[in-house]
Amino acid sequence: MNSIRTRLLVALVLLVVLVSGVAAFVTYQRVLNETSVLFDYQLRQMALSLRNQVTLAPRIEVPADQGDSDFVVQIWDPFGTRMYLSRPGLPIINQAVLGYADLLLQGEPWRAYGLQTAAGVIQIAQPIRVRERLARAAAVRVMIPLLLLLPAMALAVLWIVGRGLRPLRRLTAEVERRDVRSLEPLVADELPREIEPLVAELNRLLLRLREAFAAQRAFISDAAHELRSPLTALRLQLQLLDRAPDEAARIEARGRLGEAVARAIHLVEQLLALARSDPRDNIGNLEPLDLTAVAAQALADAHELALERQIDLSLDARPNIMVRGERESLRVMIRNLVDNAVRYTPRGGAVQVHGTQTAEGAVLDVMDTGPGIAPADRARVFDRFYRRGASLEGGTGLGLAIVKAIAERHGAQVTLADAPGGGLHVTVKFPLRLV
Amino acid sequence: MRVLLVEDDVMIAGGLQTALRQGGFTVDWMRDGQSADAALRNTAFDVVLLDLGLPQLGGLEVLRGMRRRGTATPVIIVTARDEVQSRIAGLDAGADDYIVKPFDLDELMARIRSVLRRAAGRGDPRIRHGELMLDPVTRTVERRGVPVYLSAHEYAVLEALLQRPGAVLSRAQLEDRLYGWDEPIGSNAVEVYIHGLRRKLGSDTIKTLRGVGYFLPKQ
Repeated sequence: MNSIRTRLLVALVLLVVLVSGVAAFVTYQRVLNETSVLFDYQLRQMALSLRNQVTLAPRIEVPADQGDSDFVVQIWDPFGTRMYLSRPGLPIINQAVLGYADLLLQGEPWRAYGLQTAAGVIQIAQPIRVRERLARAAAVRVMIPLLLLLPAMALAVLWIVGRGLRPLRRLTAEVERRDVRSLEPLVADELPREIEPLVAELNRLLLRLREAFAAQRAFISDAAHELRSPLTALRLQLQLLDRAPDEAARIEARGRLGEAVARAIHLVEQLLALARSDPRDNIGNLEPLDLTAVAAQALADAHELALERQIDLSLDARPNIMVRGERESLRVMIRNLVDNAVRYTPRGGAVQVHGTQTAEGAVLDVMDTGPGIAPADRARVFDRFYRRGASLEGGTGLGLAIVKAIAERHGAQVTLADAPGGGLHVTVKFPLRLV
Repeated sequence: MRVLLVEDDVMIAGGLQTALRQGGFTVDWMRDGQSADAALRNTAFDVVLLDLGLPQLGGLEVLRGMRRRGTATPVIIVTARDEVQSRIAGLDAGADDYIVKPFDLDELMARIRSVLRRAAGRGDPRIRHGELMLDPVTRTVERRGVPVYLSAHEYAVLEALLQRPGAVLSRAQLEDRLYGWDEPIGSNAVEVYIHGLRRKLGSDTIKTLRGVGYFLPKQ
């Protein structure tokens, strides 16, 4: 029953049957009423026309029975003796009722009219069935043409529906012809208004899909491209190890090979972190977290690099600054912020991390004493693989892209500003949520 | 042979410098396009290894700039960009060769030799001059079919003189071929190498133009 065509067809048949039924019923009722009035009038006229002939009763000439109107005439004398019965053998009405009356004779309803004259009582009677037969015939006459038209109407409905569905069939064919990669919008011309919203929504979905695919492809291409550099370094060092002329060169080449491997591993880890923090994905387990505790972990992770670079790394935050989030992603985010700050800060500088709870939600600030970022470049530094100026070796150009992706996943905002000392000041504002 | 290496990746540049020095080249390394451009204006290199994705000034701009100034030094683009359009753009901007990272070190060396050979207008990889034959692939020298053993610096001086027989190279020009900017130069080092070469190859192989420099006579 899920086809529009079938549904319409069934509805039409039911409707026509119902309409013809109602029409027949109404016709039946009206015809019955009208014939009743007419026949009643006829009963009375017959009685009146016989009034003067009562005395001649035995020789009465009752008008010949007209067709099947089944009139019965009886005449009684004033003493109640039947003087005349027009059709012997019929069930006999033994009582003389004056005026109109509905009688029941052997289970069959009759209509009768009695007239009192000086010479006796004249009664004309007729079975109701006569009137009903006429009404029934009229009802059937009304119903038959409607029912005869039914097949024609059904065919018309099939044709109209088929025509109406033609744009849908065209659309189906168009979608069928496509291969997986063609995500161009569907042609929305000449579509019925009812289908247009569906096509518009489909096109919007296709557009989003196309954008998502393009982003995916760009990411893979960028990632493959970026992997080339550490792999080039790896291959170079491996070949230098092979051809090292002496033990000292061999030891050095081996050390550099290790660094190149570490760099490749770091890039792959960062790529994974970025892929996992895609803001388009649904966020996983959101749990109430103490931002201060997560920041402390991240700082502990970054501690070694800061020490090596003689950078004063510090955390200033009260315990229990609550946010809702994924512990691991937030840790990766803060780690990247701190790593980034440490990498760009000259030896002997400082990196400070502040956590505060404000009325609008938790805020995390990371400030360094590095060169900062010019306002013109601030939008671009969030692009993946964008590197600003000369940094330490091993930067992947992914740090801030990861930070932004994780922040977006958490509904947080990242802004860049100048730190009081001239370095970079990164602010992450978390939304206020019920914890 | 003096190579200008233009590469912003510290690790790759470090490895390449080691490899090129082991291959007997004198290497100068520039990390960005602007320094590379400045170096190309001031120093004559035998070959340039040029990365494309450079900070400040892109590799292609550096290349176009030097070609506009009429510098014919062979340039090999060494880049991670492998698209055909990028190769075409690089070669059309004036590059002599194009090699994609990650490359094989031996292949890179062979390509360097190849562009040097073509720049000198030779087809035969080996350089012949009278009784002498120099093979840049094996870095060996023969005289009348007999191998002659030269030090790395002696080899470099001979190779420089063999590039254009007849042309006079000054002591300063030879020093340029032998030492990078950050390497100390011995006060009479070039004279020492010339002396060594004359001893091993015959005193009349390398001529002196007094007060100007040294040359191999044309044949």
